[in-house]
Amino acid sequence: MNSKELACKLLDKKNMVSGYRTCAGCPIAIICKTVIAASDKPVVVASATSCAEVTTTVYPQTAWNIPWIHSLFANSAATISGVESAYKAQKKKGKIKKDINFLVISGDGGSYDIGLASLSGAWERGHNFVYLCYDNEGYMNCLSKDSLIYTETGLKKITEIDVGEKVYAFDQKTNKLILKRCSGIFDNGVKKVYEIETLHHNIKATGNHPFLVVNKVPKGKPNRLIWKTLEELKKGDRVITLKKLEGKKAFTFKKITLSKKGDYKVNCINKVKIPKKSTSDLMLFLGLYVGDGWARKKGEIGFALPEGAVGRDKCIAACKKVFGLKTITTDKFYIYMNSINITRFIDSLGFEHGAKNKIIPSWIYTIPDDQKEAFIEGLLLSDGYVYKKKKDSCRYLSASKELILRLRLLLQTLNYRVGKVTVQRKEKGTFVVYRPLLKDAEYYSICFSKKYPWNIAKYPTQYKYQNFLIGNENFDTEIIKNIKEIGKEQTYDLRVDGEHNFIADGIVVHNTGNQRSSATPKGAVTTTTPAGKASYGKIEFPKDLAKIAAAHNIPYVAQVNSHNQIDMFEKAKKAFDVNGPAVLVSFAACPTNMKAPSSQTIKISKLATETCFWPLYEVINGKVIINYKPEKKLPIEEFLKTQTKFKDVLKPENKAVLKSIQDEVDRRYRELLSLESIGKEKE
Amino acid sequence: MKTTKLGLSGGEAIAYALKQINPEVFAMYPITPQTPIIESYARYSANGLVDTEIIRTESEHSALSAVIGASAAGTRAVTATASQGLLYMYEALSVASGLRLPIVMPVANRAISAPINIHCDHSDSMSALDQGWMQVYCENAQEAYDMTLFGLRLAESVYLPIMVCIDGFFTSHNMEVLNVYDDLSVKKFIGEFKPKYNLLDTEHPVTVGALALPDNYMEIRKEMFDAFLDVKDNYKKTSDEFKVSFGKEINFYEDYFASSSEVVLVVLSSTGEASKDIIDKLRLHGMSVGLLRPILFRPFLYDEYLKPLKKAKKIIVLERTEGPGSYPPLYKDICLTIMNEKNKPEIHSLVFGLGGRDIYQKDIEDVLLSVISGKKLKSRYIGIKE
Repeated sequence: MNSKELACKLLDKKNMVSGYRTCAGCPIAIICKTVIAASDKPVVVASATSCAEVTTTVYPQTAWNIPWIHSLFANSAATISGVESAYKAQKKKGKIKKDINFLVISGDGGSYDIGLASLSGAWERGHNFVYLCYDNEGYMNCLSKDSLIYTETGLKKITEIDVGEKVYAFDQKTNKLILKRCSGIFDNGVKKVYEIETLHHNIKATGNHPFLVVNKVPKGKPNRLIWKTLEELKKGDRVITLKKLEGKKAFTFKKITLSKKGDYKVNCINKVKIPKKSTSDLMLFLGLYVGDGWARKKGEIGFALPEGAVGRDKCIAACKKVFGLKTITTDKFYIYMNSINITRFIDSLGFEHGAKNKIIPSWIYTIPDDQKEAFIEGLLLSDGYVYKKKKDSCRYLSASKELILRLRLLLQTLNYRVGKVTVQRKEKGTFVVYRPLLKDAEYYSICFSKKYPWNIAKYPTQYKYQNFLIGNENFDTEIIKNIKEIGKEQTYDLRVDGEHNFIADGIVVHNTGNQRSSATPKGAVTTTTPAGKASYGKIEFPKDLAKIAAAHNIPYVAQVNSHNQIDMFEKAKKAFDVNGPAVLVSFAACPTNMKAPSSQTIKISKLATETCFWPLYEVINGKVIINYKPEKKLPIEEFLKTQTKFKDVLKPENKAVLKSIQDEVDRRYRELLSLESIGKEKE
Repeated sequence: MKTTKLGLSGGEAIAYALKQINPEVFAMYPITPQTPIIESYARYSANGLVDTEIIRTESEHSALSAVIGASAAGTRAVTATASQGLLYMYEALSVASGLRLPIVMPVANRAISAPINIHCDHSDSMSALDQGWMQVYCENAQEAYDMTLFGLRLAESVYLPIMVCIDGFFTSHNMEVLNVYDDLSVKKFIGEFKPKYNLLDTEHPVTVGALALPDNYMEIRKEMFDAFLDVKDNYKKTSDEFKVSFGKEINFYEDYFASSSEVVLVVLSSTGEASKDIIDKLRLHGMSVGLLRPILFRPFLYDEYLKPLKKAKKIIVLERTEGPGSYPPLYKDICLTIMNEKNKPEIHSLVFGLGGRDIYQKDIEDVLLSVISGKKLKSRYIGIKE
């Protein structure tokens, strides 16, 4: 078998289909798929509670195209005993004619620890099944990361979202925009964060965060959408982006307590009407307010709209129309309105105060398009420019970065093409929008313009090939222009019902937390064997499951590793062909447990074998055969230093511990070699 | 239908019923006093009387797990247990009910550790009341035999597992004469098992036991809870079929003069049989006493149990288990039954026979006479040494 043949086998058999939620870099799927593909008969799987189970069967979805059962953590071998016995009984009765292979998939916890008794029992009873243990050296708990999310009630920070709230998602079947319930929010800790830049979008995310990408296929075939992690993305890849999110109805404002005459210290009050719902006029007024306005607690609302500015008259008109305020005073530079109730109202809308802190509040993302446009018109009348030559090309400038970022996202819901956020530094004294600056300042700006619809009539095939989301009301594809690392940030993740995507400037699915098992190597730091002043991590050597299995005198035992899939496939084939129990114990390099980059999984797996920490061997009816003997056995440090979990044991003061690990690895390997030679002598 | 009289212990009677059922898979692990069941069955198997695949597991945890696997593979699968064995498989109990597998499991009730004790009381099955299993408590070998057949049909009609409980030693090991039905009639009564899903159907793969997060867990659990609401009707229906097949009705409880009496004794299992003599005796003296012996204990049909308690002015609940820091379960359920009655009867909770301590007819008589005459009871614990 060569790798091409193996690839064909794996592609041919769709036993475990994509859509499972293993972490980036996790080898479990590789291991499971390779082993199952080796069976030429139908396979029935029993799984212990483990990563493989948690990540593949989140109800109501399943990655399994073959019968699969999970019952408990400790009983997968007992469960398969029952299934296999039922099969034997049915076969005896003639109710089933075909041959079936039975497979258990379990992690090290379910095999070395809690499930060992039931496993030992099943071996002794001699059931005809293959036991696959993927040893990721500890217990891991599934969890997840990042940013501003489009929800039913507007744009929200990930930390502001409540479980149960509805968020927008991309329906991968119909390519349409749908609302889905958020069923969990996770703190994912401080992680390295990257920024992806497309023509109109910037997305921040961690390296293992999956993105929906167009998988280009040769001409004539329809393009497909696939998930790629950020690390796998390249310049030129097309990611799915949101282009339009139409607001449905005017926003109903929360009731606020209004001041009235007779309240403490209130002798007179300007009569105003406070709007209950958002309107275009109000939005124009608010747009101007965000750009050039201020509101003081005492009840003064002011606008820096000098005489001659287009916004000035519009502002006054809107104010009169919306609030019914009769007296508005003006001078050469400013407009003043006095109403304590309008200030309170504006206060309640969530724009924040001060030029640097202003933001666009969440609810604006839910209002109808015409009102959004009115808001943007207001903004443009204050701190914006509309290029005269190109009528619909605009630029907006603000001292608040957050405002610009949010405006960008708002424009993206209105089908605008939006450029990058640019920063400009202005020195004290320079004139910026009618005013001299009082101190040095930083300004952020974006340019945007309305998108023209594609001329599909003129270039039909070309566009279809380039962008199969053409004509889609809400989504578009955009080419990645740049990907760069931007440092470490606190990260979060959402879990969304049904579709596992949501629309944000970032998403990740990640695992956190890991506890020691009896398969955890000596010197490893886990959350239950932490390193400290008095400890370097786990102090015991791991159990040897393959040897325990071999001691049951079962017909086939093999140790496999994910860097050598061909070896794994061939051994799995032997395991399925054997009559009676067979065991495959695979090293599974877990990025969470190892605290190593997810891109290193296979390299680390290989090192496990090259250092003889995880030798590849099989025991066929008691006879040991070592399948791979490294020409030059690498020192164990080479393996340990790839993983942060061993960092304490590699410190100079722990030299003795390191030596004991090397000695134990050597001893176990020598023992294996001697067992092999005993087997040869017998021949 | 032909009946034959046989002398069998309760355990053997259950094994006999299981032999007639001839399930595809039987997972067994020994524990006193359940052992007569699996030993008898192993003999049937060794003599070729059944063609069951027997899995002799290394623990009860694995026994029930294997049965779960076999049942999910679309076959009839059984196991039997008691005491610590039941507690050891506790984790798997809720899996069986959650996956809606109609597993029949005889339980020979035995005390639980510590101190270790192999004799009868009900603390084992009573600690597993809320794991989604139906529970029936049998008076004698005949009822144990009947309820094993009945229980299988009932379980398969509602897709819920069932425990058929008998008193350890008192019933499991005592030889009694009982009527067994002919194999053909039993076969006709139990019919074919129609599984909800089948792991061996590789053409139509199913994922059994998926992970349900907070967005779905509650709905899936509720489906199981709702299945209990169907038990009442299915119990009646199965009882009708049982009557057609074997000429006998299976009730929710045994009403031995309870509905016409002012003083009602409530007790489970074999003690019910022994109490009837005292009831007879006291009734001869003109006292208005009766016995209510619940058979179906989970689900507890409050409306049904109210019927025989309508006339009761005084109720005495005798139990072979205690609710430390609270009250034992049967007492609590009887309290809930009469909760909304206008003239609430006076109700006493008494505990007896823990760890197999004998209860004498005199003890029961004393309790009844004390309650009838309104005397204060010396202790809640019958027969306790001072």
